[in-house]
Amino acid sequence: MNEHQSSDERLDELTAALPREVAPPPELWTAIRAELAERSSNARRWDRWRLAAAGLLIAASSSLLTVVALRSREHARAVAVASTAPASPAAVNVEPQLPARLASAEQGYLRSTVALRRKLDERRDSLAPSTVATVERSLRIADSAIAEARSALERDPSNTVLAALFTSNYERKIDVLRRATELAPRT
Amino acid sequence: MASALSLVRSAQTTQSSELAPRELAGEAALVDRARRGDVDAFERLYQLHAGRVYALCLRLAGEPVEARELMQDTFVHAWEALPRFRGESSLTTWLHRIAVNALLERRRRDKRRSARVSLVDDEDDAESGSIASGFVAPADVATAIDLERAIAALPPGVRRAFVLHEVEGYTHEEVAGMTGLATGTLRAQLHRARQLLIRALSL
Repeated sequence: MNEHQSSDERLDELTAALPREVAPPPELWTAIRAELAERSSNARRWDRWRLAAAGLLIAASSSLLTVVALRSREHARAVAVASTAPASPAAVNVEPQLPARLASAEQGYLRSTVALRRKLDERRDSLAPSTVATVERSLRIADSAIAEARSALERDPSNTVLAALFTSNYERKIDVLRRATELAPRT
Repeated sequence: MASALSLVRSAQTTQSSELAPRELAGEAALVDRARRGDVDAFERLYQLHAGRVYALCLRLAGEPVEARELMQDTFVHAWEALPRFRGESSLTTWLHRIAVNALLERRRRDKRRSARVSLVDDEDDAESGSIASGFVAPADVATAIDLERAIAALPPGVRRAFVLHEVEGYTHEEVAGMTGLATGTLRAQLHRARQLLIRALSL
């Protein structure tokens, strides 16, 4: 047996020992199932798209209103605290930040939106201008709602309602993008 | 790549896809139900085959983020194509074909993606015959983890050929059919893959 043969045999041995199965990330089926649910409704895609866009408008408006209301409440609470306690220099210098869990979730959302946005841009020319305008308007609203929720969360990171609004606004934006990428040409 | 390796390290085998006759009959019933739109049946099929398909996706992609996307593409396409599944091959083979097609489609659709791969594509690297710079030969060469890393560092086309033929055990003709390569090209890629791996692992 020469040296070359033994190298090949060693490689074969290592290759044969590789695991045939690797457990996928546990949340992957949930993502697949969600996509299947969307695709199963393709026949009613346009109607549902318009509903989704309208829903987004309503949801975003609702989110904004809620955020504004919460901010007002937080502001009132902050004023009350400020009036009864001396200001801490350390607190003044703290940079507002998202909680780590949400910051991590946001990274995932951003990756998805970037990928979907790229896909949408690739087929933008095949869509009717009015559809593109509707999509862009919905996305602007979604971005505005996300920014509002994000800003409020940075000031009140423990607020679970704001956290839910923040993530749901991202999910709605992704939903709009995904539906837009699946629209038939010239719709 | 470290995260890819950690995924492999923490790999847990799921249910075997080497199904007994009774299980095959059960699988056929699940396929029938899934064809009629039963997502729960499709979920069961996913559970049965996810381990084998994800292993392939991870090795074809060479990194876990794209592997996840590829896995999702594969099962979504499988759901849509299930009415056309005739049972002429095993469901695993059929799913593997879909995964390979999904990968090729992704490569065609998004050339920019290749810039993220650590090595130049084999078509552009035909003369070099070497593992790209940046690949660091591991100190302990006699482990499967090192081989996983070395496979992931192969040029994409060479990696595809090696994974399908040497790891998954498909014949030259089957791999050629899946990838659209001529068998002569495939044999050359396999030879090159072995050379690169032997060199990388200092075997």
